[in-house]
Amino acid sequence: MSDRAIIQQVLSGDVEAFSRLVDRHYERCARIAVRILGNREDAEEAIQDAFLRAFKALGDYEEREQFSAWLTRILVNQCRTVMARSRRRDAIFPDLDPLAMDFAVDANTADGTWPELERALAQLPVEQREAIVLKFADDLTYEEMSRITGAGESALKMRVQRAFARLRAILQEVPSV
Amino acid sequence: MSEEFERRIAAALHAPVGVDHRAKRMVMEQVRRAAAQGHPRRRPDVWTRVTRHSIVGLAFAAGVGGISTLSAILPPAQRTDSRGVSSVVLGDTVVGALHDTLRLVRLMFDAPSAQRVAVTGDFNPAGAGTTPLARDADGRRWSVTLALRDGEHRYAFVVDETRWVPDPRADRITRGADGRLYSLLNVARAAN
Repeated sequence: MSDRAIIQQVLSGDVEAFSRLVDRHYERCARIAVRILGNREDAEEAIQDAFLRAFKALGDYEEREQFSAWLTRILVNQCRTVMARSRRRDAIFPDLDPLAMDFAVDANTADGTWPELERALAQLPVEQREAIVLKFADDLTYEEMSRITGAGESALKMRVQRAFARLRAILQEVPSV
Repeated sequence: MSEEFERRIAAALHAPVGVDHRAKRMVMEQVRRAAAQGHPRRRPDVWTRVTRHSIVGLAFAAGVGGISTLSAILPPAQRTDSRGVSSVVLGDTVVGALHDTLRLVRLMFDAPSAQRVAVTGDFNPAGAGTTPLARDADGRRWSVTLALRDGEHRYAFVVDETRWVPDPRADRITRGADGRLYSLLNVARAAN
């Protein structure tokens, strides 16, 4: 069943049908949010807010772009909101380093994780991190990224290039790379 | 070496992160609470206003100066309103710039709470993006006057850069190759 058909079901009053959208898109959202925000706790907050906002605004969605792109735009905005909140929290508790803490929840750890990369991502400027994550965590085209972030395609390409350059510089200092 | 590095980064970013099912369940708990409060809410008032007022006020052949409303797609009750709008919008500078094959078409859209409204259509050059509508003095209506060639045009409104709204007042709606719905406007037929 297509996303559009599920949305019609939800709008017809079948609230539980929304769980199919959650099942279908949650992992993709987690991939984006965890890598933009750098920790699972903040990511889950952003994802929950994004799905809730999408549900509340579903009446506005109807005949627009693909649901996945619309949801991603909401998610990216929520990540920015959570990031701003975290910066305020870090200003209050400067000694806390979320990246040095284990994830607070009991989730599967996928094979092939690269802890040094997570730390290196955290050192990128926000817009570079956002660009490289959207490009490769979600396989988006620059045109799709442009619609989601509001930035121009050439600017996004530049951000991804700079993100690679910065990551290379950071990770070269790590012996395991 | 560089490509290998980039491939490794890309693969790592694309790797799954694992899903915490408890967090996933919480999404639906929040959704159910929101549903109990009446969400998701549709916006029938906006759609009703769009239906009543949205499309096209006027068209006329350049150089002649005569105005013919698009009566074929406007109910009689709106013609006076459309003519009233036309006398304000059409200035000599606009008329002078037109060729014989162009007609002026005024698109209107009522969205008092919107911050930005634009129209996108096949009349926008590729890569040129959208054409913004201007908010009228009453603060409710957005409008733009376009010079269009005779023939069929596809278009849709974009509200606040996020909401895609085909014009329900149009004769027909079609789905584009991009999967979106577009309104269809036949300028020549509407003007005759």
